[in-house]
Amino acid sequence: METIYRSIKHKKSSYYLAALCTIVLGLTSCTKNFQKYNTDPSGIANKDVQIASVFIPFEQEIMYSADDGYQVGQNLNADIYAGYSCPPQFFGTTLNNMNYVFVDNWNQEAFNSIYTNLLGPIKNKLAATGVKTTLPDFWAVALIVQVEAIDRITDKFGPVPYSAIGKSLVTTPYDTQQSIYQQMFAQLDTATSSLNAFITANPGATPFVNSDVVYAGDYTKWLKFANSLRLRLAMHLTKIDLVTAQKQAEIALAAPGGLLSDPSDNAAIAVAGQNDYWQITASYTDNSMNASIGTYMVGLKDPRLPVYFTPVDITQGPLPAQYAGKYVGIRLGTNVHSKPLYSGFSVYNYNTTFLVTSKETVMTAAEVYFLKAEAALRGWTGAGDAQTDYEAGINSSMSQYGVSSGAAAYIADGTSKQTDYVDPQNAADNIAALSTITVKWDPSATNEVKLERIITQKWLAMFPEGQEAWTEFRRTGYPKIFPVVNNQSGGTISTQIQVRRLSYPVSEYSTNGPAVKAGVALLGGPDNGGTRLWWDVNKGNF
Amino acid sequence: MVINTGLHVSQSLHTKTLLNVSTIKGTVKDATGQTLPGVSVSIKGTSIGTQTDANGQFTISAKVGDVLVFTSIGYAKKEVTIVNINALFVELGTDARNLNEVVVTALGVKRSEKSLTYSTQQVAGSELTNVKTDNLVNALSGKVAGVTITPSASGIGGSSKVLLRGNRSLDGNNQPLYVIDGVPISNGGNNFGQPGDAYGGNPEGGDGIGNLNPDDIESMTVLKGGPAAALYGSGAANGVIVIVTKKGKAGKTTINFSSSASFDHKAYEPAFQSRYGQTSAGATTSFGPAISSAPDNLSQFFQTGNNYTNSLSLAGGSDIAQTYFSYTNTTSRGIEPGNKLGRNNFDLHETAKFLNNKLTVDGNVNYITQTLDNSPALGYYSNPLTGLYLFPRGQNIAPYKNFEGPNGTNGVPTENWPFQEDIQQNPWWIINRNTNEATRNRILLNGSVKYEITSWLSVQARGSLDRTNDVGDQKYWAGTLAPLAAPNGNGSWNGFNSTNSQRYADAIVNFNVPLKSKDFKVDGLLGASITDNTGTGLSFGPGPQAPTLFGLFIPNLFTLQNIEVAPAGSNNPYGSNVSGGTTYEDQTQAVFGSANLSFKDWAYLSVTDRVDWSSTLAFTPTYHYSYPSVGLSFILNQMFILPQAITYAKVRGDYASVGNSPGAYQTNPVNYPNANTVTFNSTAPYPTLKPEITKTYEGGADLRFLNDKLSFSFTLYKTNTINQTIGFSPLATSGYGSGNINAANIQNKGIEITVGYNMVQSKQFSWNSQINFSRNINKVLDVASKIGIDSIELTNSSSYVSEVKKGGSYGDIYGQTLLKNSSGQLLLEADGTPQKGDFVKIANPEPRFQLGWNNSFNYQHFSLNFLVDGKFGGQVVSVMQSILDSYGVSKAYGDARAAGGVKVNGVGPDGKAITTVDAETWYTAIGGRNAALGEYVYSATTVRLREMAFGYTLPVNKSVFKSFKLSLTGRNLIYFYRKAPFDPEITSSTGNGLGGVDIFNQPALRSYGLKLDVTL
Repeated sequence: METIYRSIKHKKSSYYLAALCTIVLGLTSCTKNFQKYNTDPSGIANKDVQIASVFIPFEQEIMYSADDGYQVGQNLNADIYAGYSCPPQFFGTTLNNMNYVFVDNWNQEAFNSIYTNLLGPIKNKLAATGVKTTLPDFWAVALIVQVEAIDRITDKFGPVPYSAIGKSLVTTPYDTQQSIYQQMFAQLDTATSSLNAFITANPGATPFVNSDVVYAGDYTKWLKFANSLRLRLAMHLTKIDLVTAQKQAEIALAAPGGLLSDPSDNAAIAVAGQNDYWQITASYTDNSMNASIGTYMVGLKDPRLPVYFTPVDITQGPLPAQYAGKYVGIRLGTNVHSKPLYSGFSVYNYNTTFLVTSKETVMTAAEVYFLKAEAALRGWTGAGDAQTDYEAGINSSMSQYGVSSGAAAYIADGTSKQTDYVDPQNAADNIAALSTITVKWDPSATNEVKLERIITQKWLAMFPEGQEAWTEFRRTGYPKIFPVVNNQSGGTISTQIQVRRLSYPVSEYSTNGPAVKAGVALLGGPDNGGTRLWWDVNKGNF
Repeated sequence: MVINTGLHVSQSLHTKTLLNVSTIKGTVKDATGQTLPGVSVSIKGTSIGTQTDANGQFTISAKVGDVLVFTSIGYAKKEVTIVNINALFVELGTDARNLNEVVVTALGVKRSEKSLTYSTQQVAGSELTNVKTDNLVNALSGKVAGVTITPSASGIGGSSKVLLRGNRSLDGNNQPLYVIDGVPISNGGNNFGQPGDAYGGNPEGGDGIGNLNPDDIESMTVLKGGPAAALYGSGAANGVIVIVTKKGKAGKTTINFSSSASFDHKAYEPAFQSRYGQTSAGATTSFGPAISSAPDNLSQFFQTGNNYTNSLSLAGGSDIAQTYFSYTNTTSRGIEPGNKLGRNNFDLHETAKFLNNKLTVDGNVNYITQTLDNSPALGYYSNPLTGLYLFPRGQNIAPYKNFEGPNGTNGVPTENWPFQEDIQQNPWWIINRNTNEATRNRILLNGSVKYEITSWLSVQARGSLDRTNDVGDQKYWAGTLAPLAAPNGNGSWNGFNSTNSQRYADAIVNFNVPLKSKDFKVDGLLGASITDNTGTGLSFGPGPQAPTLFGLFIPNLFTLQNIEVAPAGSNNPYGSNVSGGTTYEDQTQAVFGSANLSFKDWAYLSVTDRVDWSSTLAFTPTYHYSYPSVGLSFILNQMFILPQAITYAKVRGDYASVGNSPGAYQTNPVNYPNANTVTFNSTAPYPTLKPEITKTYEGGADLRFLNDKLSFSFTLYKTNTINQTIGFSPLATSGYGSGNINAANIQNKGIEITVGYNMVQSKQFSWNSQINFSRNINKVLDVASKIGIDSIELTNSSSYVSEVKKGGSYGDIYGQTLLKNSSGQLLLEADGTPQKGDFVKIANPEPRFQLGWNNSFNYQHFSLNFLVDGKFGGQVVSVMQSILDSYGVSKAYGDARAAGGVKVNGVGPDGKAITTVDAETWYTAIGGRNAALGEYVYSATTVRLREMAFGYTLPVNKSVFKSFKLSLTGRNLIYFYRKAPFDPEITSSTGNGLGGVDIFNQPALRSYGLKLDVTL
């Protein structure tokens, strides 16, 4: 090329060359519009996003991604292991979560979606807007949402990434569960103090009113929720770190702003599209009543039974006429090899309770009363009287579901107990009742019996939120949930002790290998469903 | 008057009577009878020569026994021995190979064939119009080595996938760049696009090249490799097809009228059984009792397709200005009722010279309007063929021609169809009540100004605009099955109105450096260009949130105001029904240069370099990238004395690197509003994005023997496409749902061979024959191993996965196979149900090699052209056959049941051998939507008589007609070899996935036609 330039110059054609260069330079200096061209004009740049407008998807993501996220993210693990739900079908694979063989892509949803759609974007994008300092009240709510979300992940898997989220596309180290609990308490510290400061300075202000599908911007309720969440998390630690448990619980019990105390305080999310319980029950027909909760509610003559569940519908399945109008659940791990076989059994009541538009409750005032009852049992300051708290919990739940008229008789019933389970389709599933607990408070009972009574009623009250119910079952051993009929875990999960956690998704091993292996070391046992989490210590409750 | 060729010289010598030099007069015409000016006429072995005048006439002093040689660009060289002194009448045939003497290369630069260091292949316009097709690129099939044409199965108005030397890009486009008269045009289809999965349901989006009128095309040159395309830069990485359009010619005005009519039939149909009827009343399957016969339901539905193309062109001008004008109307209908295409092409091309011929101004306007109605959807959904083919055997479908049933609860008619399955609807309901329409208005403006400053320096500036407006919609009337239309049952509607423009401008300095040495020559060019693509438009549809599609509020009222914005009982409002505002812009600016150095006309060195600035690299550290090419060729017959039989021998070799700008918006993702909120974009920004690079090594030789009668050319090449943009899922804990990374190395290696034979025996008879052979081997050397990704899925359905996997090759199809034990016995359940294994590679549709054999015969006034085209090797799969089997309508099922069951070599769970399985058990297990597709793999080898034209030229001397020719034409006439139950060549999608799979594709067409060409 050089010889050509030279020969052109030689022929006094530099004028033409100059003209060409002008054209060339004229063009190439025009790259100033390139950034404009390469920015999608139908979108909004990070810096132009109105903070409030992004928040609703984060709140909704607590209950997993739209469509079937909730089903595989929570229903087919926590809800079924908590004894609430049992699908009347096998999803095309005879080895699955129902008989203790984890379906990896279900675990993956449980692990991934909250990181991808909630925790990651809050860390990468929302935090990067400087909202922590510019809008501390708003950031406080974001912190509470993060705590509620990460607790769902860590209480399923154990050590998981939290402090290092969003730092790399290819590797994220795992935190110990102890560290995650410390971070959650610290974040609640920040959140509650910011909210208290804001409420004091701006009484009655709801700047966030249109962007909050939980409390419509009512910071006083967010504060109650944060305090109650602290009490819940504290109680998780009774076996591993009683000192911290008591300390955090007492902070919560005395916290300014108080706890959830009335059903109107309940933390409930208006999710995107359709209510997940409605969707998996009415639309997918994949969600029926578990034999465990069925036998308890039938046996205890629970007034909430027809609110929670529908009676048997013999037009939908093979059940004989004698079962019409009765409440029959399905036992986990039974051989549901084709869909019509267990159709027509009791299902979540999508006609009156779990409607398309119903909110999804993540924490109730009733649960808080039961937490207080246990705190009182343990003699913690500020908890009040155990029986009072216990009965307040039942009353709050009955009121929440509009069946308060039956509450008094229910509370006074000292004889009704869980019934035996009879499977009309397969007698091999039949099992005798495991529990003899009654509803009526017995002041003379041992602490262990009192705890079973409290946790059993808490379990009945916090339906259908299986995540917390499964955690409490693993911590306390209550209520007494029927073991799986068929355990296909190959000996990794004990039928009697039942499943303790989910295993990490295979994708973590292929894409975040060294970090997940370090995570397994932190777990302190093999990465399977039989290994206990940090707070799940194999010892007595007291 | 007797004219003999050189072969008969010895015979003709007997008749010689005069040895004196005389004045020989003659006229030269082309095959259509038009006189040819400017033909050079010389006496062989002497330097005596002349040229024909404007009327094609010449005068030369020669004696009997001399051999006159006639040459003209674009025509076959002809030698004529003078046997007497009477006036000669010489006809020159056009010939593609001889066109190669001058080749239109990158940027429209014409270069002599021998100076090129790379392989190209040129096809004359007449070869594209011998047998008309509705997408002109289909006419290239078999005529150029290394080109694979895969038409869409959607029939008329459908797009075609054109591959030059194999697939190379994972996420992007694998099709070549089209260049008309030196400037690139868009090959985009409309918003309907291409099916992305087995469900399909979309109409065909068409493509840009299919809009053009083949009658306006002078020639097409295929620049297959990187070296040829390097100057075009971004977009040329897959090769370039350079189109030169017709211009007016100085001299007499000619008027051409061409009219063709062709009739299309389906070339085959699935093999059905007629032994067993419907399983039971109301059942969708045909596993029922024996029947004696079954009505031919297919004939109730299909119609004869047709294509009427009428074209009128006027060409003429003076030495100073020339004009070409043409108008073409195409009216066509498909074999599925309601499928119609109408197209009008206007072309005006004006060329003029000013300032003592130093300034050349050229302008071209093309205006195209096209309407395509009811382009058939392929795949499971909205496809009339599913309901038609699956209809229970023995039942008559005729009553369902009345496609409307009683009114539904919403007061409008329901669909009259006995089955409730998403996969099938009443075929007549689909064609009348799942309708679609697409209208395209396109204008192509092209202008250039060239000024010759000195004899060795010229400057040129060009500009072009290619603007397309597409308007289309798809209506699902109330009563349409819910998965396809809105669940509220009132119907749904989607559509678009979009305008896309591509603007291009360049400025080029061409030089031819005058050197003192006569041995060396240096020429080349320097230039700069800008390409700007913009798009604007709106689309609307039934709400954004799948699976809750909202439909119309009032049934069958197809207005924007009538589209629901939220479903009944929804928590949230869902935003607007008008979505996807498609405002878009990207821009590429470039400077480029090339230099060609030659030594003594036998050694040639070419060097190019180009720098691109691409807007899609905005937000990265550098917006520009550069890539070079270098090539070398030697003309051996001018270097050495070769045996006399070898008249021409060239060897050549090249290296080139061609860049390709990445897709837009990857470097700086923004956030999108959705349902009254904003969701932060979960795509990770990629601030170090780089362009894709294709590196090519190419070498070959061009040889001609026996006075150019026999030609042979071969090219070996290897391309590696690296730095591709690979989408991947980052760790969930990164907080991003998707990301991009530069990776991959896809390699294509191959060989292309062209052999031509050009036998001119006499004025009475001639035969030209050409064989094109090509073989391409594709290998995926890497996907993205640096981040642990070894495969990318292009598309999938429940039984079919198209995956690009490290170590495999592009287009590999994965499916389930039946499990066998170590001794080869199938593992069966007690009832004979086979067990299916994991997804494994079962097929790849790319042919091992391709062979095209193109022939043209002339005998007196008759001409015969035919093209035999073969694709050898490769495998395809039929999802359709698997579904027909599982419904019991297939011949396979009927025959197996009649034979007492399917004969297998299997073993049951008890270890006992099983030799026969009940036909219903077997076919419902291996077939269906979850088929063991490994049982539905077929050889893709196909050999066909692709084109045939038999013509008769009326002797019209001294009438008003200059030429009058009538031809009978046929396309896809005979399959000499085809083992698959469908034509493996046609595809469900011309995109990157869904190659080699038949999911209720419309059958390939066989057409017969009549064509009239008249020149005034």
